[in-house]
Amino acid sequence: MTDETAVLSPSAAAPERAAAEGGGRGRPGQVWRSRRYRWDLRWSPYAFVAPFFLFFAAFGLFPLLYTGWAALHQVELTDPDSMTWVGLRNFTRLWDDEFFWNALRNTVTIGLLSTVPQLAIALGVAHLLNYRLRGSAFFRVAVLTPYATSVAAATLVFVLLFGRDYGMINWVLSAVGFGAVDWQNGTFASQLAVSTIVIWRWTGYNALIYLAAMQAVPGELYESAALDGASRWQQFLHVTVPSLRPTILFTCVVSTIGATQLFGEPLLFNGGAGATGGSDHQFQTLGLYLYEQGWVNLHLGRASAIAWAMFLILLLIAGAARLLRGRGNSR
Amino acid sequence: MRSLRAGQLTYVVLGLFTAGSLFPLVWTAIAASRTNTRLAQTPPPFWFGGNLGRNLQIAWTDANMGTALLNTVIVAGTVTVGTVLFSTLAGFAFAKLRFRGRRMLMAMVVGTMLIPPQLSVVPLYMLIAKLSWTDRLQAVVLPSLVCAFGVFFMRQYLVHALPTELVEAARTDGASSLRVMWHVVFPAARPAMAVLGMLTFVMSWNDFFWPIVALTQNGSPTVQVALTGLGRGYIPDQSVIMAGALLGTLPLLVVFIVFGRQIVGGIMQGAVKG
Amino acid sequence: MGAAALLLGGCAQDPETDPKAGPSAGGKGQTTLTVGVFGAFGLQEAGLYDEYMAQNPGIRIEQTSIERNENYYPQLLTHLGTGSGLADIQAVEVNNIAEITATQADKLVDLGKVSGVDKAAYLPWKWAQGTAPAAKGGATVGLGTDIGPQGICYRKDLFEAAGLPSDREAVGALWAGDWGKYLETGKAYKAKAGDGKAFVDSASGVMAAVTGSSAQRFYDEQGKVVYKTNPAVRGAFDLAASFATEGLSAKLQQFTPGWDQGFANGAFATVSCPAWMLGYIQDKAGPAGKDKWDVAQAPKPSNWGGSFLVVPKAGKNAEAAAKLAAWLTAPEQQAKLFEKRGSFPSASAAYKLPAVSGAKHEYFGGAPIGEIFSKAAQGVPVTVVGPKDLVIAQNLADIGMLQVDQKGRSPQEGWEAAVKAIDNALDQ
Repeated sequence: MTDETAVLSPSAAAPERAAAEGGGRGRPGQVWRSRRYRWDLRWSPYAFVAPFFLFFAAFGLFPLLYTGWAALHQVELTDPDSMTWVGLRNFTRLWDDEFFWNALRNTVTIGLLSTVPQLAIALGVAHLLNYRLRGSAFFRVAVLTPYATSVAAATLVFVLLFGRDYGMINWVLSAVGFGAVDWQNGTFASQLAVSTIVIWRWTGYNALIYLAAMQAVPGELYESAALDGASRWQQFLHVTVPSLRPTILFTCVVSTIGATQLFGEPLLFNGGAGATGGSDHQFQTLGLYLYEQGWVNLHLGRASAIAWAMFLILLLIAGAARLLRGRGNSR
Repeated sequence: MRSLRAGQLTYVVLGLFTAGSLFPLVWTAIAASRTNTRLAQTPPPFWFGGNLGRNLQIAWTDANMGTALLNTVIVAGTVTVGTVLFSTLAGFAFAKLRFRGRRMLMAMVVGTMLIPPQLSVVPLYMLIAKLSWTDRLQAVVLPSLVCAFGVFFMRQYLVHALPTELVEAARTDGASSLRVMWHVVFPAARPAMAVLGMLTFVMSWNDFFWPIVALTQNGSPTVQVALTGLGRGYIPDQSVIMAGALLGTLPLLVVFIVFGRQIVGGIMQGAVKG
Repeated sequence: MGAAALLLGGCAQDPETDPKAGPSAGGKGQTTLTVGVFGAFGLQEAGLYDEYMAQNPGIRIEQTSIERNENYYPQLLTHLGTGSGLADIQAVEVNNIAEITATQADKLVDLGKVSGVDKAAYLPWKWAQGTAPAAKGGATVGLGTDIGPQGICYRKDLFEAAGLPSDREAVGALWAGDWGKYLETGKAYKAKAGDGKAFVDSASGVMAAVTGSSAQRFYDEQGKVVYKTNPAVRGAFDLAASFATEGLSAKLQQFTPGWDQGFANGAFATVSCPAWMLGYIQDKAGPAGKDKWDVAQAPKPSNWGGSFLVVPKAGKNAEAAAKLAAWLTAPEQQAKLFEKRGSFPSASAAYKLPAVSGAKHEYFGGAPIGEIFSKAAQGVPVTVVGPKDLVIAQNLADIGMLQVDQKGRSPQEGWEAAVKAIDNALDQ
């Protein structure tokens, strides 16, 4: 109790009072130490998070607030200092903005097209890598190389591979008897092509994460499953996958966030035509639409509103996921 | 731990997957060894030509590559050290310490992850210009230190990987927070720090959008900024652009090959509990 | 070691941020001037910087280049807005020049007043495009570099195979004075040549060429957006769309890898080519295309593309930069740029210089390109430019025409899609 008040009382008074309370020689030092201890206990968490939040305040919060403010104005990149107040108009107009909804739809479909196969393949590859392999070190490094490649370099190559008339993929498709595919113009085809670039870059990385988690699964689980007569496939489904649930969840969260902000791949996949995302906007994602409004059409206010809308949609999704999970747990 | 011996099919499938992973990179090198004219012809080249040295040389001098590589190492290195340090500190606080405002602050961190990065460019540039940091490396380093993902990542890891009893035991022994940090948290977090470090380094190395606004090619370019100057002149020379892309990726690849085992080990260890 | 030296060089430049530092601070008594350009330039490649540096030992010129104008232009605006990060001289594409003169004139040096700049030496319309509206001070902030007078580049061998004349005079005569005749020639070509080889590379290429031959395009003289009701624009769109619907187009998108491969494979017989495109064709079509390509007069004089140089007031050495900009755009230098790089001069005084008037292009069968493009340039009408020219042109091509050409939509559908996208893009 005394200690508690000592901590809370003005610092200068404390040592004298502790001394006046008639302790032995060690007493004041002890109080001092415990006071410092409590002080440390109380404030150190803030000290630990402070560096991040300091930088966040300077370089994260200010842009966020600025765009929030800009979203309520008509403001052009040609003159960012002159703003005309328009209230919520930049937001309400999104309701009727078919390009926005189109971009939202594309973001969802490309997100699914890239995330689901990516994680599924990663799981499969991890499973294979988990066998006793010759050259396993080579495989593990090799599958990680796409991750080191920049989006720009990767997309450049894939644009050539996916060329309509002379691309290597169509060449192979024709050779095996399928027709050539217009990877740029087909809605599904173009989204698949963009997703392929994402899948190529990230699958190996996710596979290694899964592999690690797999190696931590206790062997007894497999042994008892084997005793129950489970096949390898059944073991994979009923032992491996459930044990990996937290890891899978983590990769899902990270991939989902990445998918919602997808931007570089669809921008560069468009060859010469900038941020339209194809002649029918068929692979224009929200990130790309935001870029088109801000950096091609130069409407900073509208672009800001799109960014905030993206942000709010993600918050909604996160909230919904939380609610669902909460319910699932309570049952 | 269970290790069944791999069958032949496993090797075939893994071989295909690896080939797919490596192919675009190899093809980049092939393209970099050809001429611009040859790249427009069909069928595209499948094997190396004799132009690699010339293209690399043009890319090197045209893109001011020496300065650019050095700058990129400085930028990516600083960003990595800073991010890993800050993320570990904050991640530990969020994972294991109780303090008022914790939930709200953590929500802010998660919220930050959801902000589309394209948008911050204009306000950030206004800020940088006010500080007269245009074309200085700190203009690229400091904003990149706000890595919400890092905090989130470290928190997720430490929640499981660092036994609370360990922290409490150290505390009852009267260890100060700094001591706890140094002797308990850092050792436990090391694998995750390695992974985060690698992720941050690669991300920072390949970052393009913000550096191209903040830096110039003649001042203090990073590799990605320098590369935008390639293929200039009347006809964009694709083979030189590819050579540049190769030069920009090569250092990362070398790091991957030399430290591949450690990086992969780090990822694996880091992921176990994450 | 070399890298370290370069880095130190970079540090040594810092004192120049101080505007007073001037020549003495840069080390060795030099002033370093930076020129910021986007992809399609060539000042450096034509050796103009070296020449200027040789004449002015106190000046060092460095160039920064961003390959694509889409990346370059927003960056330029951001830098102008904050007055930082600018090069001493910046290039501006013609589709952006109206926006620059309308919104940024107060941040740019009036180059019309720089000594040695002679208004009479330039094409009047090019001069007018670089001059701010009277309401914004009326200063000439942009000096024209090149323009893009057009011809029609065509494959002699394919024309011959289709039973058409292949001599450039005769070919030009096939469609002289009327873009409709160009279409008719295409139909005749197709009837004979069969399906293998298309007549044009893309419908949008035709559209750009046709649009470039009318004075009024997307804006009227009062600065109102009129593209929707302007018969010239809609006419160009519909005519170009017929190339797609008649099956005359190779359905390519210009400046994409597929287009490049189209040149290499001889996938089409003609392409509307501004002067600056000849080098591109030569490079992409490669040695195999030599003696196959030629260039004829376009149906009507038409302009596509071109650029300006501006000097930001916030630059470290605005005065020296203005002098350099004036020199770079002077007729003699423009003639050299044409000789070396094929960028056609916007300074009409250069047309009389032998480097221009006598120019022949060896790859294109020794075509007298100086004569062909001078003729086109002098016939080009004074184009009314507007701030959002780029956005309008881009959406017409990459949304509207591309839908018709590559997705097989009807011209009406394509037009409506483009209008919708443009309306959305123009709405602040």
